[in-house]
Amino acid sequence: MGIRTVYSTQGLVTDAAADIKNQLAGFDVKTLIYFASSNFDHQSISKLMQETFEGCVVFGCSTSGEIVSGRMLKNSIVAMAFSSDAISDIAVNVVEDIKNPNIKKVCSDFEEYFGQPMSNMDPSEYVGIVILDGMSSSEEKVMDKIGDLINLIFIGGSAGDDLKFRTTYVYANGKTYTNAAILALLKPTKGFDIIKTQSFKVLNKKLIATKVNEESREVIEFNNKPAVQAYAEALNIPVEEVPNCFMTNPVGLVIDDEVYVRSPQQVKGNHIVFYCNILEGMEVSLLESKDIVKDTVAAVQEKKRQLGTISGIINFHCILRTLELEKKGQTEQYGQIFSDIPTVGFSTYGEAYIGHINQTSTMLVFK
Amino acid sequence: MPGKIKEMIDAIIAQRSNGNSIIAANTRVKLALKGILPDKYDSTSEDDYEVIDKLRRIAKELNLSI
Repeated sequence: MGIRTVYSTQGLVTDAAADIKNQLAGFDVKTLIYFASSNFDHQSISKLMQETFEGCVVFGCSTSGEIVSGRMLKNSIVAMAFSSDAISDIAVNVVEDIKNPNIKKVCSDFEEYFGQPMSNMDPSEYVGIVILDGMSSSEEKVMDKIGDLINLIFIGGSAGDDLKFRTTYVYANGKTYTNAAILALLKPTKGFDIIKTQSFKVLNKKLIATKVNEESREVIEFNNKPAVQAYAEALNIPVEEVPNCFMTNPVGLVIDDEVYVRSPQQVKGNHIVFYCNILEGMEVSLLESKDIVKDTVAAVQEKKRQLGTISGIINFHCILRTLELEKKGQTEQYGQIFSDIPTVGFSTYGEAYIGHINQTSTMLVFK
Repeated sequence: MPGKIKEMIDAIIAQRSNGNSIIAANTRVKLALKGILPDKYDSTSEDDYEVIDKLRRIAKELNLSI
């Protein structure tokens, strides 16, 4: 088997790294992806993990909760180790200034490493992982540039900091970065697929963003009315109740029957601030939440049916979904969905799939 | 002449995907995330020059000539 998952709840990063190393004894690690609670020392973790797995490709990020086969955790490090049986080749690049992302440079580095133009790479053979600073508010910019220049799928999420909302970190090459993004391009040996799941029903109520502030992710007006008023009218609720509905009634861009969720964060005067961009003129539909556990079970089972077998999943799982699961006492049930599949993941501050999205799980599935 | 927008959308998807269905589907999403919903336009849609300009900008960003 080319994929193995491990985790450690040791409190010190030195102990946790040693614990992970011990658990992987005898396994021929070539690549290690890890997600670590922000409560671990961010300055030393990247260096230590790289030194512990010397000669391997090692990268990861800070989180707001971790996921490993069968469990949702806190204050842990979860890791997925790959041998060359699972990933035949991989290159990792860091975009150090996420607000002015130089994706062209990343592309030329990938091209040099893989010895071919990116345009020649088959999107069914190569896949990208993107892990972004979750406090940068720059995810849209990075994902837009990636999509402009690269025809391969990049999937991932934004790093977390255990709901402190101060600083998030990404880790690669033994260094710790903030205001940065990691782009990894890999060639899974047996192929891959994607699960993108969000538990919402699309309501037949549309809102058109007629005035926005893109930089601050604010919608000033929907349907030529103050955003809060239009949202309240669409839900048929008093304006004062608007913030109480954000979790259960976000909005979504619907494309080919697939929903790309944009979650409201807060009311600011008459405006609504979102966790990701809504462009001026964009038409979004009002959504209504459904059962996350039930929908995720269905999505994973369907993928298993399509692929026959799944050898591993990396789950980029929105923190808002985690909070909802916690509120409903369903975290154990959610973890159990992945009990018989090698899985790692974390609670993210945003998910990445073609663009930047919210209240979604984006999963990279290894055949 | 109505239908120019639909033509431009089709040209962007065709050039970008070069017949690859995965890339074609992703390009449709990409256009929507950039503010153009492909299904909103058909061959009878009026030529809205604001939308046409936006599509020209998108084509440029995608390094396509349409």
